[in-house]
Amino acid sequence: MGENEYILRAAGLHKSFGSGPGRVEVLRGLDLNVRRGEFLAVMGPSGCGKSTLLHVLGLMTPPNAGSVVIDGEEATDREIGEGPDDLIVVPESRKARIRREKIGFVFQRFNLLSVLSGHDNIALSLRIRGLRADGRIDELLAAMGVAEVAGRKPAKLSMGEQQRLAVARAVAHSPQLLLADEPTGSLDSENKAALLELIRRANRQYAQTIVMITHSASAADAADRIVYMKDGKIIDGEH
Amino acid sequence: MVPLPIANVLHHKLRSALGALGVAIGVCMLVTLSGLARGSLNEVADRWEAVNADLIVYPARWLDNITTIDGGGLSQADAAEVGRITVGGNPSPAIERVVPVFLSRASIGGQEHNVVGVEPADLPSLLGRGQILPGGRCFDADGAFAKWLKAELEAPGDGVLDISPEELARRGGLEMVIDTRLAAKAKLEVGSGVYAAGHDFTVVGIVPAGALARAFIPRATAWYLFDGRPERYTMLFAKLREDVPPGAVLNRIRATKRLNAVTTGEYRSMLESRFGIMYVYVDAVNAVTLVVAFLFILVTLYTMVIQRTREIAILRSMGAARLYILREVLAESLILTFLGAAAGVGLSLAAAAIIQAALPLLTVTITWEWIATAAVVALVGGTAAAMYPGWCAIRVDVVEALNFE
Repeated sequence: MGENEYILRAAGLHKSFGSGPGRVEVLRGLDLNVRRGEFLAVMGPSGCGKSTLLHVLGLMTPPNAGSVVIDGEEATDREIGEGPDDLIVVPESRKARIRREKIGFVFQRFNLLSVLSGHDNIALSLRIRGLRADGRIDELLAAMGVAEVAGRKPAKLSMGEQQRLAVARAVAHSPQLLLADEPTGSLDSENKAALLELIRRANRQYAQTIVMITHSASAADAADRIVYMKDGKIIDGEH
Repeated sequence: MVPLPIANVLHHKLRSALGALGVAIGVCMLVTLSGLARGSLNEVADRWEAVNADLIVYPARWLDNITTIDGGGLSQADAAEVGRITVGGNPSPAIERVVPVFLSRASIGGQEHNVVGVEPADLPSLLGRGQILPGGRCFDADGAFAKWLKAELEAPGDGVLDISPEELARRGGLEMVIDTRLAAKAKLEVGSGVYAAGHDFTVVGIVPAGALARAFIPRATAWYLFDGRPERYTMLFAKLREDVPPGAVLNRIRATKRLNAVTTGEYRSMLESRFGIMYVYVDAVNAVTLVVAFLFILVTLYTMVIQRTREIAILRSMGAARLYILREVLAESLILTFLGAAAGVGLSLAAAAIIQAALPLLTVTITWEWIATAAVVALVGGTAAAMYPGWCAIRVDVVEALNFE
């Protein structure tokens, strides 16, 4: 296996917030490689930088240093020398395209659009990606077990139903990389188990690559591999 | 699926309604005020153009604007001279008919109006296509009052003629014909008493709106009340023979030096020249109203952006480009603008009907031209108003917005 083995390669990631004495360094030279079709869980204590890592990998916030390569495509600015012109800048439009075409997000707080029905949340996701809905939405809703309630707006749905819709939205365009930030964090144990089963099934049946941030050891157990973070670095499991 | 901008408009009903209302008020003001200002002037010009005449002849001292002319600046000799004008070697008079009128102003029903003194026989030529409505009649129909008063005015004496109002009324001198708008405004009908120029007139006839003036009285009465001399006229309406070019007659009239003349069509431009400044005021008010209306849209959209940073961040996380976000904000603005503009045109039509019902003397002319102007202004304003909120939307920090509780 060569370069193509990895859907995601992150190297030397640094990310800090603030400046001067109040500057907080969250990621400190983090390296992470994720194979195609792998289900990876990232664990670690609160404040260790897990969510920041996910935001950097999802191209929602740029790292201060380091690189992220997604599906062989350079997705972060890169210095190639010392001079002021020796910086290859990845334009925002390219990052947006990579997010659109290759990444799906599942958030702890679902982040469904409150003004749209569950069905239309998924349809909008496809529309943004320039894809036609066809019958795919109904199939997905049925697969997620929320076909009955898809006409309702999120406020009328249970948390479990909302998160299933969020997963359906995240995988509707068949992204190469699914990034999940504490997807079970707001769910009770029954819904948590059901959701993990759905994610696991997506990974098994469709070889969906998944990077899941979680506090929960039981959730992490569903993954193929678990890496542990501490103080902005991977301390165990990266191999 | 329901497009996101439409879903947002429907979901935030009150906010959307307020935003659209702001535009509606702006558009309504634009269409109604413009329609009112231009409509009222055009209505006056239309009435003058409706007179069955080609030229208006008046004393040269009034120069090139006769919109406020009154008094008896012309004499019978002037009228006769105009009636004798020939052009192009043709010995026949160029003018088929001369209608001398005496204009004065008097307050009727709480508002000042032009009151036209005219011979009963000449009245029909000043009524446009209308005629005295059934149930009414013309004043001094047999001309007896005019003959009597002329004789009184010409009789030798100390130069001061004092006729009691009762005598004037008894001889038919205090009769008035009014138009339907004045009748509606002052709640007058045939037989009603109406106080004007210090005398109690009686309405004897009503003519459809569109006549030269709102009120007509016997010309002899006008002489007595407003000038004191017989056979004095403010202006002459001259009807040319069909084969006579107006320009040649105009030149002959102006050559007299004492007289001047314009075509009835030129009266419109005189009105616009004298009162067109009103358009500037109206347009200034409209501009201020529209700016306020679109500031309203701007604030509405800006509030929307502030309230929906998470939504925008979700769209961005799904890969929506900045242009897409800007387009969504713009689309929402244009929906509000379109709804507001449509409501504004509806309000304008309602306002025009209400204004004309409550104030019959005013004319509100709502034209497609002004509706189209309002639509374009709304489109441009709505787009401009969306720009700053749109710019704020595309600058939303995705991570910060997603983490915002």
